[in-house]
Amino acid sequence: MTKEMQFKTVVAQYCKVKPEDMGNDMRFREDLGFSSLDFMSFLGELEDTFDVELEEEDALKILTVGEALELLEKL
Amino acid sequence: MGILIRDILEESAKKFADIKAVKWLAKKEIQERSYSELMENVIAIRKGLQAEGFNGKHISLIGTSSVEWIESYLGIITGNTVAVPLDAGLPAEDLVDLVNRSDSEALFLSPKNKALLDGILAECPKIRKVWMLQEEGIEASGEKTASLADLKASSSKCNSDISAPSPDDIATIIFTSGTTGKSKGVMLTQNNLATNVESVDYTTDPGSILLSVLPIHHAFCLVMDWLKGFSLGTTICINDSLLHMVKNMGIFKPDVMLMVPMMIETIYKRLASADAAIPKKVLADNVFGGNLKIIFTGGAHLDPFYIGEFAEYGVEVLEGYGMSECSPVISSNTPETHKAGSIGKPLPNAEIKFENGEILVKGSSVMKGYYQMPEETAETLKDGWLHTGDKGYMDEDGFLFINGRVKNLIILSNGENISPEEIENKLALDALVGEVIVTGEDNGLTARIYPDQDVVAAKGLDEEAIKMALQAFLDQYNKNQPTYRQITGLVVRKNPFIRSATKKIKRQEALIDEPLPMA
Repeated sequence: MTKEMQFKTVVAQYCKVKPEDMGNDMRFREDLGFSSLDFMSFLGELEDTFDVELEEEDALKILTVGEALELLEKL
Repeated sequence: MGILIRDILEESAKKFADIKAVKWLAKKEIQERSYSELMENVIAIRKGLQAEGFNGKHISLIGTSSVEWIESYLGIITGNTVAVPLDAGLPAEDLVDLVNRSDSEALFLSPKNKALLDGILAECPKIRKVWMLQEEGIEASGEKTASLADLKASSSKCNSDISAPSPDDIATIIFTSGTTGKSKGVMLTQNNLATNVESVDYTTDPGSILLSVLPIHHAFCLVMDWLKGFSLGTTICINDSLLHMVKNMGIFKPDVMLMVPMMIETIYKRLASADAAIPKKVLADNVFGGNLKIIFTGGAHLDPFYIGEFAEYGVEVLEGYGMSECSPVISSNTPETHKAGSIGKPLPNAEIKFENGEILVKGSSVMKGYYQMPEETAETLKDGWLHTGDKGYMDEDGFLFINGRVKNLIILSNGENISPEEIENKLALDALVGEVIVTGEDNGLTARIYPDQDVVAAKGLDEEAIKMALQAFLDQYNKNQPTYRQITGLVVRKNPFIRSATKKIKRQEALIDEPLPMA
């Protein structure tokens, strides 16, 4: 599984959109229906899944799937 | 007549002296504080406050959960001072306003929020001292700033411990959203808090583990996680971030937790998305840490569906009901007495009656009033009866149920009470926003906007351009707001809102005559 698909599989746990249908321009809160807490829990899962540490303040500014992927690539 | 938080705490410090009162993570290592160590610090802080001349004064706290925060809070309320816990996530101008409106003369400030320091010192003329919630390492920021260690060191100037407050003295002022858009300072006495702690029918073995995940400035967390937990000799573990709630359940292995419904909904998504082949016991151990038996929930209504689902994982979810004005618990389900869908039976110190369907509460945990707001106090407290703003009924077994609201507040599933007018007033500042109504959905807020037609015509905006401009404005607004006050939905109306004879927008008809939400 590619890193992107692995990432989108984690996203899919919190919404009804399948990983393969997930566009990078989709917004977590507005398009995927994440609650504020879903999003924080999701960020925590990203840390565990990819063994990275996120800067909370920066991570909470993320709006779209693409932005989260971009941040992950930088780490 | 009455009891004090100081009495409860002193008894716990004696009975549970060697038990760990608080555990937390620092650089991934677990740190601990015993009940006797905690009490020692609390006494040093209250004596320090006396020595520095703050007797009888109001003192604000800004910060997230930490052992220093709770020790400072207890130092304030077990002495003759009044604690004003504030939401560290609020915009700086709101915090300045609350520090000023609460007449605070000193402040405990978390190092994480140090950026607020200069603004508060410049704009809050009554503030005489700021103690950073850290032991050492304060850079020189003028004589008004010091560390917690400095304050504790001042206690040596105070030979004997200070006298205890009276049960009827104000212990704390907790700010809560007002329906008029201005938050109100709920004044709770020593007796209000202490009788709430004692009236909640729950007990556990000393040393039981509680993981505290709610914001500490909220009455539910402050009184039920911390004060109730301390009264039982519980070890309270601090969740360092909501990013790590599940991970921290694995680290601390709690027996009991308090949550708002949104947390239960989020955890359920993780449980439900797991591979069906994984046995539920294994999955529960993985997610809940292996020891969790009870989740108390409150702050908003929980769909009873989750109670049944969590029971399958061996976790009992018990819903309660309360509000800051009642210190905060009014009723709660308990391990022994519960009914799904209800908010439990009223506490023994709460008398309940109904007026036109609205729940009214009287009793020893009902607030003294709103700070410096006599009109709002008179509207809410009538002949000792607190008007909750919630509609409900009691069934034949004495269980309370809620079925609506009288007041215009949005209650989100994270337990936050939102005044729509407060947000609407801010959104209306944008030239393109002609009319706006904010409504609450399950997990967020939606702005329903009728664009200003003069601006639309002048700029020649089409439908897509209007939506983009409004979304850009909302994104900008959201940047400065705590997550619970962010707007996550936008509906652009084609027609103005329906208005009453007095030209006020009919809020209950705000959803009529509008397009479907845009994806």
